[in-house]
Amino acid sequence: MRVLRVAAVLVLVVVTAFPLYWMITTATRKDVFAVPSWWPDLGNLGGLVAGLGPMLGWLPNSAFVAFGTTLLSLMMAVLAAYALSRFRFKGRGVFGFALFATQMLPEALIVVPLYAIFLALGLLNQLSGLVLANTAFGMPVAVWILKSAMDRIPVEIEESARVDGCPRYAILPQIVLPLVMPSVAAAAVITFFEGWNEYLFASTFMVDKEKWPASKGLASYVGEFVTPLGTVMSAALIFTLPAIIFFLLVQRRIVSGLTSGAVKG
Amino acid sequence: MTARRLPYLLIGGAAVYLALLTAAPLLTGLWLSVTDTQLLNPMGGVFIGFEHYVKLFGEPGFFRSLLVTLVYTAATVAASLLLGTLAAVLVNRSFPGRTAARTVLTMPWAVPTVAVALIFAWIYNNDSGVLNRLLGPARQGWLTDTDWALVSVTVASVWKVFPFVMLVALAALQSVPEELRESARVDGADRLNAFRDVVFPFLRPTLRVVALLMTIWSLRRFDIIWLLTQGGPVDATETVVIGVYRESFVNSDLGLSAAIGAVGLLISSLVTVAHFLLDRREDA
Repeated sequence: MRVLRVAAVLVLVVVTAFPLYWMITTATRKDVFAVPSWWPDLGNLGGLVAGLGPMLGWLPNSAFVAFGTTLLSLMMAVLAAYALSRFRFKGRGVFGFALFATQMLPEALIVVPLYAIFLALGLLNQLSGLVLANTAFGMPVAVWILKSAMDRIPVEIEESARVDGCPRYAILPQIVLPLVMPSVAAAAVITFFEGWNEYLFASTFMVDKEKWPASKGLASYVGEFVTPLGTVMSAALIFTLPAIIFFLLVQRRIVSGLTSGAVKG
Repeated sequence: MTARRLPYLLIGGAAVYLALLTAAPLLTGLWLSVTDTQLLNPMGGVFIGFEHYVKLFGEPGFFRSLLVTLVYTAATVAASLLLGTLAAVLVNRSFPGRTAARTVLTMPWAVPTVAVALIFAWIYNNDSGVLNRLLGPARQGWLTDTDWALVSVTVASVWKVFPFVMLVALAALQSVPEELRESARVDGADRLNAFRDVVFPFLRPTLRVVALLMTIWSLRRFDIIWLLTQGGPVDATETVVIGVYRESFVNSDLGLSAAIGAVGLLISSLVTVAHFLLDRREDA
């Protein structure tokens, strides 16, 4: 039984890690087509950063979109989640449904109407426009996670804080928010990824090459055979690393942050 | 400020936001679906009633794309639920190297989709891809053979999304009280039974929600499919959402594109309604 378990973990880990290993290995190899090998070329570790050139221009754009999406989503989500968790009000059900409904909406369906709206508002070809579009999909998930977390905080804590003289407006930022920080972290990662990864809006809205986020820049290598594959893989690696680092930093919090949402379902 | 107004102020930002950035484009999209709007003249569309819908339901190609969508969704959801739950159960116990194993298993979730597509396109590459090198004479056209393309796209998708199931399942597993599992072991229940009777009931509500999310996310997944195959070869991986994109940006037919999107949205809505009906029946 024990052996089976270890074997199962090993197989899963190897299969899961292989594509990442292959990306790194390929990035170090000079001619992947002529000289096949299972191992990275340790004499050519410079290959790892071969894709840095164009990425340097695109990564700041991705960072802007990702951080913008995270901030905007969290600001609205904290308030909305608190309202959903603590108040019974008319329209609560409709609002909750609308949040969920965004997750069913194919981006491909709204990309054209959104294009028209952005065109009218001068948001086309603007990174801030991408922030707005991505927030529409990231924010509802953040509300959901935060609401489930807030549901688990007893109202009595707020009441006793009130008795102790905490003003009403300070309850959310000073009492509730610190208690749901793991869930804020989980929501932050999810919305950050939404902004960092997003491809469809980026590819249709952004015209100027210097304004491309890395997702669109990297996608321009798809089906293109001029750039050496090692360079492409290096660019993919450079695009992936910040997301993985951010994820590892908050990894612990994600599990506990999702717990509250998970238990209630 | 009265307590009656407070909740509306709190949701105000999010509500207005969703109205402008999702509801308005959605309604515009639904309107487009009953017009003959073209990409090159987006304001010049004329109302034509349900012509596009009639056309769609008379086309075998459309039914094929519905089928491809359902197969892709069912396979992706089933595989990621299974793998994600299995991985969560495996790393929930302590063993040497557990943290490292958990970290590796969750990592694909953080890999941007465009990077996933590039990596898998390279792994699947016909002539020099590692998969075909490994298989030698049994090599396949993973992305170029109509029999394999959907499988290959599904595998890449599952690799990317199963860690999400694992993370959520792991969170749920940690809510299983230790005494409960202890008592199951003392009672001599064998492992599998103990899992089914003691642990699974804790996981079930979570897994059901994750299954719904995975389903509606898979129904509308665009980027990984488009970047790997663009719906091809022929129409082997042409899902509904790929069709929406193709009609808009390749064939410039915004009206038809919106009609396909509306049908896709209807399917997602039906799945969601079914989920909540099932939920209610089980709760009752």
